[in-house]
Amino acid sequence: MTSEKPGTQAVAASTDGETPAAETWAPSIERAGQSNAPEGAARTHTLVISINERPGAVDRVVGLLRRRRANMQTLTIGRSEQPDVARITAVTDDSEVAVEQLVEQLRKVVDVRHVISLSSEQMVERELALIKVSSDAARSHEIIELGEQFGAHIADVTPETVTLEVAGNAAKVEKLVHLLKPFGIREMARTGSVAMPRGTVQTEA
Amino acid sequence: MQVAVSMTQATGTTQTAQSSRAEEEARELSGSHILCEALVREGVELLYGYPGGAIMPFYDALTSYPKLHHVLVRHEQAAAHAADGYARATGKVGVCVATSGPGATNLVTGLATAYMDSTPVVAITGQVARPFIGRDAFQETDVLGLTQPITKHNFLVERVEDLADIVHEAFRLAKGGRPGPVLIDVPKDVQFAKTLYRPSASVTSFEYFQATRVSRPAPEAIARAAALIAHAQRPVIMAGHGVILSRAYEELLAFAEKSGIPVITTLLGLSAFPETHPLAIGMPGMHGPAHVNNAIGACDLIVGVGLRFDDRVTGKVSEFAPNAQIIHIDIDASEMHKVKPAAVPIVSDAQAALAALTEAIEPGDHSAWLGEIRSWEAAANERGRVIHNEDYPDPTTILQAIREETKGQAIVVSDVGQHQMWTARFYTWTRPNSHITSGGLGTMGFALPAAMGVKMGLPHETVWVVAGDGGIQMNIQELATLKQQGVEVKVAIMNNGYLGMVRQWQEFFHNHNYSETPITGPDYVKLADAYGLKGMRITKREEVAQAVHEAMQTEGTVIIDFVIESESNVYPMVAPGAAITNMIEETGEEK
Repeated sequence: MTSEKPGTQAVAASTDGETPAAETWAPSIERAGQSNAPEGAARTHTLVISINERPGAVDRVVGLLRRRRANMQTLTIGRSEQPDVARITAVTDDSEVAVEQLVEQLRKVVDVRHVISLSSEQMVERELALIKVSSDAARSHEIIELGEQFGAHIADVTPETVTLEVAGNAAKVEKLVHLLKPFGIREMARTGSVAMPRGTVQTEA
Repeated sequence: MQVAVSMTQATGTTQTAQSSRAEEEARELSGSHILCEALVREGVELLYGYPGGAIMPFYDALTSYPKLHHVLVRHEQAAAHAADGYARATGKVGVCVATSGPGATNLVTGLATAYMDSTPVVAITGQVARPFIGRDAFQETDVLGLTQPITKHNFLVERVEDLADIVHEAFRLAKGGRPGPVLIDVPKDVQFAKTLYRPSASVTSFEYFQATRVSRPAPEAIARAAALIAHAQRPVIMAGHGVILSRAYEELLAFAEKSGIPVITTLLGLSAFPETHPLAIGMPGMHGPAHVNNAIGACDLIVGVGLRFDDRVTGKVSEFAPNAQIIHIDIDASEMHKVKPAAVPIVSDAQAALAALTEAIEPGDHSAWLGEIRSWEAAANERGRVIHNEDYPDPTTILQAIREETKGQAIVVSDVGQHQMWTARFYTWTRPNSHITSGGLGTMGFALPAAMGVKMGLPHETVWVVAGDGGIQMNIQELATLKQQGVEVKVAIMNNGYLGMVRQWQEFFHNHNYSETPITGPDYVKLADAYGLKGMRITKREEVAQAVHEAMQTEGTVIIDFVIESESNVYPMVAPGAAITNMIEETGEEK
């Protein structure tokens, strides 16, 4: 019979405080996504991923996001300014280090040409939402007026519904949705964010 | 940007230059001939495969290319493992071929094995003709979808005009940067279709290539690493598979000797550094000896070269090397900070980084620290050598007999399980790249077909398989392939009548509940005989050396069935999820 003997003479790590005299470049080791990461280090990251428009390319990116357990909020796919290059915008809630890792993984996908991670200060971000609200003759004016304050267009009006079309950053869309809720939202379709850096910063190197 | 020419790239160029003038002329050829032409241009000599409906045009063309030696395996999984073994032994790209549907799905385990251990393999699969794709045709599977997570990249050839470029791109991808498997799925009608074939050299401008071309270390990173090394009091080097993939043995030796830092080798790093060297201390992790894990627990700096801090190495990550800063050298940027944050990440080929680092450091001496580790080792060795029954052949005796008989020059391919850990621990690794095993995926049934690939890639070397009685029964059908090809490997089965490693876990963690681990096997002597090979059954320890000697004297593949003690364990052991300094040790009590 063998017995489990935990704690085999755990060697007293007699470090004597001999870690190298605080090397200036050594980063602080407390980073999220790793064993010794603090809780609650997650925040929203917007990844812009340029891919070759080849069969399966989108699949590879999405498959990787799934396999690496990215905490996805929205994902949009569309054309870019270049022919044969599609642009994916992925919004993910994760720690800094997890996102850095994800970016490096994405860069290894052969059909991925370019990946950047944008923060809210660096970028212009928009999404489009279609919101169908319950309405009647008495309330339609109120709904339309509320929409106009958000720059929303009227996409469709029937005796029982008003459909608003609103574009803006996620926070703005969120706010309008919140205000429309009391009227009764029958159906909603949101595109998820697309984003690009402000000014002259290029996504394509 | 620095552009480094790696060894493999240089080889590719030479092969291109050697292509004859005739090949440069454009000719109208079928897809299947183009595939063969492109393989010849890539310097392929060996393919492992199995024909079937959707790949038949390729097999038809194959007979026109005597340079391409095709090995008919008995199961496609073995084709992938053999290609993998060939790649590990030679550093060249291994090639396997299968038909659509079941042929392709049988490759999957082998490709996943190659992917986890970063070995360059190109798989070619037939696919149903284009008009049938997506219609549940006979023997159709979505091979691209199936293999996407276990390949670096995969291709469905939609146009015969793209075929040659795709083949060359596949080879570049397989061996470039961090190597890995690449699959090419070729519809049957594309194999038949004809086009003007011009041997071409397509260039991909993908970011991937830009990234992997930078295989030399950044000078400022080297300077930072050198400063950390200069300050370290208790440093260790941890060498992984990257050292072997990069063939950086000389550079590792030079770096270790100049710095005086003790060297730990991971399972896949074994044989990258001679274990007889005074600085070599052993293997870390779940089954590493106590002194190595304790050294990691006590160290203040890890110079990690070409390893990925796998969970079998680190144990509980938060308690892994709690006092250490890490210099992490890896060619794959996505490995940086993945498990443990690196104080100095160096994205580079191991050879280039080690050479630069050796240049940058001052000669060091850590003999006091090494002496401390050695003092723990002496105690650990005594604990590791407890034997219950002196009569049975035991792993140490078997492994040392193989080592002595082959003067340490054999290439040993182990399977997965207890015998794999014994082989890792009790064979003294001195010859570079002489240890081959499935580390990351832990694929039972790997050893026999992989050894076939090793032997065919290095026909003048002696190749031994060490396997358990469980693993050898997966892919044992390849004995027929070995016989047909006249390929000679020596097989040592450590037969304990159990799926030993699982039984050991059941003993430790599941209250001795030996659920489905007792296993029987055939009479291996008769089995060998049935395949036209020689078999032996050894039940006494004193017969071990003679049996190994006899196997070496016998021509052809030989199987030795070593009947070992049924309930031996691998010690020490770290429970999954525990800190690696928290080891379960042999107590020496009789069972």
